[in-house]
Order: sequence, then C-alpha cells, then structure tokens
Amino acid sequence: MNKTVLIIGVVIVAVIVFVLFGGLGKDPQHIDSPLIGKPAPPFALKAVGTGETIDLESLRGKPVIVNFWATWCVPCYEEHPTLVANARNLPNVQFVGVVFNDTEDKILRFLAERGAAYPTLIDANGKTAIAYGVGGVPETYFINPAGKIVAKFEGPLSTELLEENLAKAMK
Amino acid sequence: MIATLFLLAFMQIKVPDAAQFVGAPQGTPLTGPQLERRTMEISSELRCPVCQGLAIGDSPSIMAANMKAQVRELLERGYTEAQILSYFEKSYGQFVLLKPKFQGVNALVWILPILALAAGFLLVVTKAKKLEIAPVKAAIPEEEPVDDPYLARVREMVDKP
Repeated sequence: MNKTVLIIGVVIVAVIVFVLFGGLGKDPQHIDSPLIGKPAPPFALKAVGTGETIDLESLRGKPVIVNFWATWCVPCYEEHPTLVANARNLPNVQFVGVVFNDTEDKILRFLAERGAAYPTLIDANGKTAIAYGVGGVPETYFINPAGKIVAKFEGPLSTELLEENLAKAMK
Repeated sequence: MIATLFLLAFMQIKVPDAAQFVGAPQGTPLTGPQLERRTMEISSELRCPVCQGLAIGDSPSIMAANMKAQVRELLERGYTEAQILSYFEKSYGQFVLLKPKFQGVNALVWILPILALAAGFLLVVTKAKKLEIAPVKAAIPEEEPVDDPYLARVREMVDKP
C-alpha cells in the first residue's frame, strides 16, 4: 500500500477516535449554559396558593436558588425533600420554585403532601423556562446577590450538590 | 381561549421577553399561511433540548411545543429569523442550532467534508493520470516454453499450413 495514503488514513482515524473519546462519559442531554456569569432573566410570577407576586428583581441582595420542576417529573419527587429541608436551614438564601406545564391544583396537592418551605410560581407557557435555557426538569439555577447566574444544575439535587453550587453564589 | 389568556395574564405579571435579549423586532409581523410556514421552517432549525437530535418542529415533547409557540409568537410580533435564532442561542447556546455556525471548532463541520471531497477528487485524478501514462500490458501472457508434449503436438497441428 502507498505509504502516504496509509499515513493520511491513520491521521484521519486518529482524529475521529480522539473526538469520539472526548465525548465519552459526557451526558448527551447536558447543555452548557451561556447564561453563567450573566444577569438572570427577570420575571415576576404569581405564587400558587397565596397569589402573591414574586419579582426576581426584589430578591437582589441575597443568593437565590431558582428550581424548575413539575408534578409530572419523577426525579422532582426525589429532590423535593432536599430543597424543603435546605430552605428551612438556610434562611439567608431565597428558594423559588418555578413550575411549567402543570396545573395549580396538582401543584397544591403535591405541596400539601410533601411540604412547602418557599414560594412556588407558575410559568404557564414555559417562557421563563425557555429564557433560562431549561432543557428538562428538575433544573436549578444559582443566582448571586448581584443578580447574576453563577451555576446551573441539571437533575435532582442532593444537599452536597446544593451546597457545592450555592458556595459559588455566596462569593 | 379568552379564559386561558385571562389565566395567563393573571398568573404571569412579567416574563422574560425577547426584546431584552435581541432588541426590538426588525422584520414584518407575519399572519396566516405565511406565519405557519415560517414557524415550521424556523422550528426545523432549532434542536429540541429534551430529545435526541430532533427539531422542535418534529418533537411531540412539551418543551418543544412551548418553544415552537414562542417562535410563532415572535414571528407574529415581527422578529426576523436571525433574531429568533439568536434569542434561543442566548438561552441554550449553539447547542440549540441544528445548523452549526461557521465559527471556531464548529467551522470544521463545514470545512472537513469539502476537504475530504477535494482530497478524494485529487486522488482519483492522480491515479487516472498514472493509468494514462503507463503502457497497457498485454492481456494475453507472452508465450512461454511449454514442456507438455500433448500441447506441443496441438500447436504443431494448428501451425501446420
């Protein structure tokens, strides 16, 4: 076989193997958020149950954890106790739940059965979720006191993961 | 419909708006069949974030339906295709674009196939030229002395006038 052709073939295969190996172990659903380090998209939504309007702008000055979830999301059931417990233990951190494509009665039933320690807001047509680049639920955004997104977490949070990400918002 | 709009207005005081990300609309507001056609066209360029390589126009997921509804709404308001794609890109990154931009490492996606095609073409041309230059060898092998007496006899008979 022609030596040059062989070398070109080996180089092409090496590049392909390198690229494929680079993707191994990565979650294909993971999306690197371009919003990290940027101001959190503003929203003001009504809280289920109380009808109170929560405006993100009004929460400036303390770290905010915005958790996107839904009652039809199975991992959200697993995550909920962690969020409630941490919200009770961290009074200086504002937790906010944002629910999309769900109904108020289902959300109220969910919260009545599993506990509630922070406002849950309805994002009726998913516009807030889209502006945050939410790919699926649960997904959590950590916002620092200046109103900038400092971390994003996809999937159910554990206390360790919550603390790890919250530390970035405390700086 | 009116009840739904009322409920939306009641539940959502303020939601993030495209204007905050990409400015005021720079195109013409669309309606009717043109709106539907452009919604489908732009929806075929945006990746559904919860699916495996599906466009939002082809996905049955709730998230894709929400994104498609937003594309439709932005077209109705007069946003251009570039503005709409940019709006989604600002939230999801280039991941959301099914047609990668000619930029950075992504440029390789466009360049490599052209390079591979050019290399293949060059290889074929080079080989073809070599074939033209090289003399065509006789298809029938030159006669070699044969020891077989039977074959020698047959040849002798054939050659006899």
